[in-house]
Amino acid sequence: MMKLLSILCVGAAAVCFGQIQDPETYLREYTERAAHIVAAFDTSTSASYYTIAARYATRNNVRLADSLFVEALREPRGDMFWMFPVMGAYLHGKDKMSEETRAAVRNAWKTYTPYRGDTENHWCMYYASLFLAAEQWPGLPGSEWYNGKSSDENRIEAKEYLIEWIRITTTIGQGEFDSPDYLPEYVIPMVLLAQFAQDADMRTRGRMMADYLLADFAVDHLEGQYIGGFSRIYQPAVYKPLLSQASAFAWLYFGTGKPTQSGWALLPALSSYRLPHIIYRVAVDRSKPYVHKERKRVRNIIRLGSEKNPPVYKYSFITKDYGLSSLQGGILQPIQQHTWSVRFTSGEPYTTIFGLHPYWSALELIMFFPEEERMMISDVVASKGTYNNPDKWTGSSPFERTFQHKNTLIVLYDIEPGTTTEHIDGFFPMTLDHRSVDPSGWIVCRAGDTYVGWYPLQEYEWIAEYEKPGQTKNTIGRPEMETDRPPMGNWRLRSHKLQNGYVVEVRSKAEIGAFNEFTAKLRAHIPKATLKPGTVSVEYRTIDGALMRFSFPDGRVLNGKRVDLKRTRLFEGPFLNAEVGSERLTITHGGERRVLDFKALRVTE
Amino acid sequence: MVIRSVIIAGLLTCLMVSLYGQTDEPTVYVSVFSTKLFVVGAANPQTGMFFQKPSEDTVWHHTGAKNIRANALAVFPGVNGRIRYTASGNGLHRTRDGGRSWKITTGWRITEIWAVALDRTDSMNVFIGTAYGIYKSTDMGDTWKQVFTGFVSCVIVDRFDPSILYAATEIGLYKSTDRGETWKRTGLSIDRTRTVTQHPKDPLTLLAGTENHGIYASSNGGKTWEKREAGIDHATFYTIAYDPRDPSIVYAGGYATGVYRSTDGGTSWKRTCQGFEIEHIHSIAVDPVHPNRVYAGTMGAGVYRSDDKGETWRAVGLPGAQVGRIVIER
Repeated sequence: MMKLLSILCVGAAAVCFGQIQDPETYLREYTERAAHIVAAFDTSTSASYYTIAARYATRNNVRLADSLFVEALREPRGDMFWMFPVMGAYLHGKDKMSEETRAAVRNAWKTYTPYRGDTENHWCMYYASLFLAAEQWPGLPGSEWYNGKSSDENRIEAKEYLIEWIRITTTIGQGEFDSPDYLPEYVIPMVLLAQFAQDADMRTRGRMMADYLLADFAVDHLEGQYIGGFSRIYQPAVYKPLLSQASAFAWLYFGTGKPTQSGWALLPALSSYRLPHIIYRVAVDRSKPYVHKERKRVRNIIRLGSEKNPPVYKYSFITKDYGLSSLQGGILQPIQQHTWSVRFTSGEPYTTIFGLHPYWSALELIMFFPEEERMMISDVVASKGTYNNPDKWTGSSPFERTFQHKNTLIVLYDIEPGTTTEHIDGFFPMTLDHRSVDPSGWIVCRAGDTYVGWYPLQEYEWIAEYEKPGQTKNTIGRPEMETDRPPMGNWRLRSHKLQNGYVVEVRSKAEIGAFNEFTAKLRAHIPKATLKPGTVSVEYRTIDGALMRFSFPDGRVLNGKRVDLKRTRLFEGPFLNAEVGSERLTITHGGERRVLDFKALRVTE
Repeated sequence: MVIRSVIIAGLLTCLMVSLYGQTDEPTVYVSVFSTKLFVVGAANPQTGMFFQKPSEDTVWHHTGAKNIRANALAVFPGVNGRIRYTASGNGLHRTRDGGRSWKITTGWRITEIWAVALDRTDSMNVFIGTAYGIYKSTDMGDTWKQVFTGFVSCVIVDRFDPSILYAATEIGLYKSTDRGETWKRTGLSIDRTRTVTQHPKDPLTLLAGTENHGIYASSNGGKTWEKREAGIDHATFYTIAYDPRDPSIVYAGGYATGVYRSTDGGTSWKRTCQGFEIEHIHSIAVDPVHPNRVYAGTMGAGVYRSDDKGETWRAVGLPGAQVGRIVIER
């Protein structure tokens, strides 16, 4: 085990120092990482579907896997989170398991009714699993299925949904886009389809969508972290970026970050799906800074909106040391939106700085959820415990907008009086190497070789805050903060002014030299702001000389020219490119390219 | 021989009385949306459709799928509950054999169903209201056609003329006069209209409940509406139910309301909420056989029953349940 860990750490270190592995080395080390994950499960005796899948796949005590499977199926629960691991375990074991076990699995699909869910990741897991199940048990009447539909009806419905989901994702973007915590919910169903679908076209679709999702992650990836602007992220992963499950996938597929034995990565680790080498290279080649833009879509709006899926625009600037990324702001997703952040490679575990207006509202929720407005907040808080907490670190706000140009970001707020919170917050981690307030007004920070300047447009205060003991990833979604435990903590910048904003400049040592040179340049660049209700604007010349004028909500002017976000393509940058509506993604690296053409259902290189 | 015939006739009569007594007792059906706070993927207590005879008091029987967030239900009248529908997040569940077998009749395109309405003159016609609009089926749900786009909380079919339908939507109360094919907004254009009900004897008299705007009444089939405010201290109403035998008596419930009762057809109201653990009321139904008996479905405390026309209430089971809809059929 120690030897394996050494190999794995050497592999990760190689990536850290900019060495991109050749395909053979990459594949060999990928296989070792996958084996490391599987080893945590094919030796376990818990009645978990992951243990069962691993034992079947490696044939490590198949009889034990049988008995664990039968036991686990006695009281099925978990809805679509039950469906995919059960199908994963079944498909890895169906030729090895006992008749009794096979019958128990079949019976579960007859007697247990999983809830279909109410969001994109639910439906993706539900229908991918149902498709595979319907293929496994063809020709059965409705009386043999929990929903009364025949095998054919289930297979056809599931296939239709998946094809439509792929179509809409590759034409106007994913709805639950770029989610560090929900990435697995999409990748796992796709790798299951890629390996096990009997329908050859669905196998191809599974493989191509796994490529697509992982390429989408790769291009916004830095050292195991997802860079964003995200649709959905849980606390505390928002301020401890490596806690997200995407980091487990980064380790498995890209060899970055820390070794993991996450259960979410087990089915991918068992899968025959292999990441194309070009996507791995996109994920780890940070030899040159780059701008990457994306267009996604807002989750289905069912009330209080005139458009079902308005566009989301994401802008990222990524170097080998940091990634600064933002969505345009406003309500793009309920509850867990993360509108902007800078994430860096130094200062673990708190490798990020970001800000937000911690807003909540039943009106926001009924835009996206069909339940009763008056009951909505208590329903949501049952699973997303921080939603109505004024100190929360995730969430969207209708009173927040951003404007990013390369490694400079302006964020403005024009907050309606009387709304749920009348303050804005900024997160500054305790692990920074330096944090001080310059007499010019700039807050200057250093995290390793990354420098961050934050110019608040209004007065503010600092609040020290601490995580309660035991607040680990197991309590994701329900963390509480406390502010009374000295002496060290993360720092919350809080400002109570309703017309508000800040300018963020990020540079690295490689870009600008010494930290004091960065600070000196900031001193010469002071934003000019107008902050009145209904008239919130700022003019700022970046330390690289670009002139940014930003008027809340959507007046963005760069060097005298209006910025039209509507012209943003589905993907545009040095590595990924796609036109809106095209169903075609071009992945480019080092003179090579790979084209995923979903219309033709063909991959070309 | 004669004696034997008399004995047999007597036994048959007893049997018939006994049977008649049982069939005369209506069946109460409820849809349970969730129990306590529902979290997708977590272990959840049973949801779906439950039913009982009133004489069973607090005992309920589950039928159909157990884990579906059942928002609403419908029972086709006059066939002893043989044809039933449960509207849920998973789709529209249908039984045609009294609950022995169920099938989801909708596909992936239809989700988040909040209302189901039946044409009592033709069991083939089914209408559902969803977060995305109204869908119509003319073959008991085997196929569907979208006939309205927008968030719909409630759909009803006119009792007297099945070509007429009403729908409570996010942008007001809508009416169709061609069996749901096309829809026009009535004179009630208040955002987030939540429910509508029709007078059991006068087809032109309607009552509508709204989110934040109270109760409205129309006496001309929806052309014009008047707000009913006398005695009302609350704003959000999810359910309104007439006493089918004496329509001057009307019940209404909503967010934090307890139950409001009117004895003048909905002109003035009095709040009668003694006995409720939770006063969020999502559904009310009046027993058509014993109109003193009224059922109220709460948002989080199960089913309540009054045996004195809503004066006092007591819990009769399904503790913790968020009850979407109650239907009582003979």
